[in-house]
Amino acid sequence: MSARGQHGNVVTQSLTQIGLCGLFLLTLLAAIPRSFRYLRETTRQLWFVGAMSLTIIMVCGLFVGMVLMLQLYHVLSIFGGTSASGMVVALSVYRELGPVVTALLFAGRAGTAITAEIGLMRATDQISAMEMMAVDPIAYVATPRFLAGLIAMPLLCCVFCAMAVFGGHLVGVTWLGIDNGTFWSNMTAVVDVHTDIVNGVLFKSLAFGAVVSLIAVFQGFTTPPTSEGVAYATTRTVVASSIAILALDFVLTAFLM
Amino acid sequence: MTDPVRATPDDPTLVRIRGLTTVLNGKTIFDALDMDIPRGKVTAIMGPSGTGKTTLLKHITGQMRADAGSIHVGGRNVAGLSREELYKLREGVGYLFQNSALLTDFDVFENVAFPLRQHTKLPEVLIRNLVLLKLQAVGLRGAARLMPNELSGGMARRVALARAIVFDPQLILYDEPFVGLDPVALNQVLKLIRTLNKTLGITSVLVSHELDAVQQIADHVMLLSNGKVVAQGDPRTIAGDGSPWTRQFFGGEADGPIPFRYPAGDYATELGLAGVTK
Repeated sequence: MSARGQHGNVVTQSLTQIGLCGLFLLTLLAAIPRSFRYLRETTRQLWFVGAMSLTIIMVCGLFVGMVLMLQLYHVLSIFGGTSASGMVVALSVYRELGPVVTALLFAGRAGTAITAEIGLMRATDQISAMEMMAVDPIAYVATPRFLAGLIAMPLLCCVFCAMAVFGGHLVGVTWLGIDNGTFWSNMTAVVDVHTDIVNGVLFKSLAFGAVVSLIAVFQGFTTPPTSEGVAYATTRTVVASSIAILALDFVLTAFLM
Repeated sequence: MTDPVRATPDDPTLVRIRGLTTVLNGKTIFDALDMDIPRGKVTAIMGPSGTGKTTLLKHITGQMRADAGSIHVGGRNVAGLSREELYKLREGVGYLFQNSALLTDFDVFENVAFPLRQHTKLPEVLIRNLVLLKLQAVGLRGAARLMPNELSGGMARRVALARAIVFDPQLILYDEPFVGLDPVALNQVLKLIRTLNKTLGITSVLVSHELDAVQQIADHVMLLSNGKVVAQGDPRTIAGDGSPWTRQFFGGEADGPIPFRYPAGDYATELGLAGVTK
């Protein structure tokens, strides 16, 4: 097959996948009322994708804040504007780095686990067994994981941002000697609750949570039920989620600015 | 909504299959298959590997749709049922999977309790007693708190059997129920299937290769090959009915009407020996 033909195939397959993923989203949304009876399962998944991701989110948030402050301090010191470092750290984290990095970490930690778990459930006939026991696997397996991701992402993003600001404070105030009062007052003067916290942290992370959870659950449910199929599906979850997060971030930023 | 499996108790046929045609990946699995599964009996479906025995069970339970034909369970066409109606039908059907299909997140007790928790609001003490009753029947009451990965293949199959019968269904489909069982467990499972059939009037359909086991419990045997029922009858006499199908299958002969080899091109050509002469 010619290179053009191969590229055409890839484009066709990608568009088909996006279309199927859209239909799967409609199925998920339709199953939400039915999944209310499985609240215990949703809580269990919330623990698994949310609470169990806390360590990686907190550690990464801390280091992102620390390195950001270090870089900004050295750049801003050229212009004598080191007192603005804390403010710039906060704005960068709230508007972009917080939601995006949290979502990328979430895709790697929780998204792959969701895909692999559902893929293995299919490979070992557990999904078919649920069907045979008259338990709807979309309502029992897919929707609780989707909802858990949707709820967990904004919470994890808040933790990430808090840790990043703490990391920035640690390096800026404790290590580099920026005045503590200046650090906080500059930050509180510039950070806007609606633009930065609601639109940046909450809205973006909610959208990323929905996208990552949808891709993870979709890949799990549509993967061929083999070990190779599950391996490919987990890889596709990370790749597709990362691209979707970054593309969606651009679109959301353009609309929310 | 009435349970379709219990809806027509006077009809001697519980599952009626007419003109079932299924083509998978270009291969015809069923070719206008007709089959009647009698109510309250143990029916064994036998046949060579890859002949579509498991696929037939999936058709009966609506897990797979056929290309043509109809399957009526308790007088209702499975293909015409809505999702809710299909789930209602499945509540009256037990299904033992070939690979047990236990839920790996739950222990043995919770696996057996799972259908009860999903479909009833029974008090915990009653659920506990029902589960222990079923586990006792398969000899695994002591293994109630083990996880599926701590069970042997035979034990997992017995747990799956306990789960399949926890609702006392009117129709139980067993997909290779005797694989991986030691002689003691095999005997107990045979006895259990027979007892369920006799005492509760349950209709059992089992897919198996093991004629010895089938002869002990089945009332009726059907031999599937080439997409059709090629022989059927009493399990104790079917092997000697003289037909070339039964002679080959039960005699284990390579040559006969049942193809041993999957369809393929010319062997010599594939080996690159076409046209080579001595």
